[in-house]
Amino acid sequence: MTCLSIEQIYLYIEKELPSAKNREIQKHLADCPKCQKAVEERKLLIEAAESLPAWETPLGFTQQVMARIFQARVSPLSWLGAVVSGFASMILAVVLFALVTGQNFSDLLRGSYYTLLNAIKNLSPLLAKILKLAPLLLKILQQFGEFLVKGLTLLTSLISPQVQIIIITVVIVIIASSIYGLRRKLFIGEKA
Amino acid sequence: MNEDKNLVEKTLQGEQKAFEMIIQKYQQPLLNYIGRMVGERELALDFTQEVFIRTYSSLRSYKPQFKFSTWLYRIASNFIIDYWRKKKIDTFSLDHQKKMDRDLPPIQVPADEESLVTKFETSQLRGRIERALDRIPSSLREVFVWRHINELSYEEIAEIKGLPTGTIKNRVFQAKELIRNLLEETP
Repeated sequence: MTCLSIEQIYLYIEKELPSAKNREIQKHLADCPKCQKAVEERKLLIEAAESLPAWETPLGFTQQVMARIFQARVSPLSWLGAVVSGFASMILAVVLFALVTGQNFSDLLRGSYYTLLNAIKNLSPLLAKILKLAPLLLKILQQFGEFLVKGLTLLTSLISPQVQIIIITVVIVIIASSIYGLRRKLFIGEKA
Repeated sequence: MNEDKNLVEKTLQGEQKAFEMIIQKYQQPLLNYIGRMVGERELALDFTQEVFIRTYSSLRSYKPQFKFSTWLYRIASNFIIDYWRKKKIDTFSLDHQKKMDRDLPPIQVPADEESLVTKFETSQLRGRIERALDRIPSSLREVFVWRHINELSYEEIAEIKGLPTGTIKNRVFQAKELIRNLLEETP
């Protein structure tokens, strides 16, 4: 047998050769110091490579990955929680507002009640017309609702719950302030 | 092997704990592979997380006739290639690699071959191998890491890369010879 090729040496060390070929190589190695040296050299290289220190993952790595995977997957109605929290914060804000400014909170509520009543009175002819178109409107509303739910679900998967609460609270406070401000303006106008 | 398939099935049925077990089992080998490919610990940890996230997202496309570990390593390999492409880091073109595969002759041991490995102590040798690894082409480094650090079989590596086993054997031994030749040059 001629001297070994380098590929044969590696395959021999890794026991990747058929047993007949293996025996042939062993026989050759017994008589060939040059190939013996070459095998020894590469055996050491592989042993050193296979004993390289492992890269260790830090403590809590699994939990970090799990949190990243499952935090991004919120339930489709998770935005409801954010809405409830938003309303709760708004109520708190109104109470604090009343406490700080000293304004009568019951007057504020009574004012809102009259505004709503007036609105119903003014809008009743329109409501009657709307009733006639109810089936069509319901269909449109249903589609709009589905679109809204899909949109909010997508948003909640992108924005963290804390940020969602802040956004919803700010929106509710802006709407509430606008209604309150508009009502005050109308009230002053009536007085004048 | 069946254990992995059971864990995948349970994860798909909604058992989060099953995927947690997959992460625990593969985080270390995956980090060892990714770490040696990118060379930076923080980046490697981040990439390992991303690979698990990608794996979870595409779990429904996993075909049980293949080994889960080879599928996972394929995701990791593609992730690293994408990263290098985006960073415009040379990943050795396919043509270049094909040429390397073709050009490699069945090298014979030269009569006066110098001893490059035996002159170093084991700890010294390990350090030099680590540094030499950084200097060999990524396509060779990848198969070397899978074979000698992750201890995958040639058949598994061939399945990951979608290449013939002979080509993989060829690349692994090219990698070893390159590393051996770089040992002296590497401080």
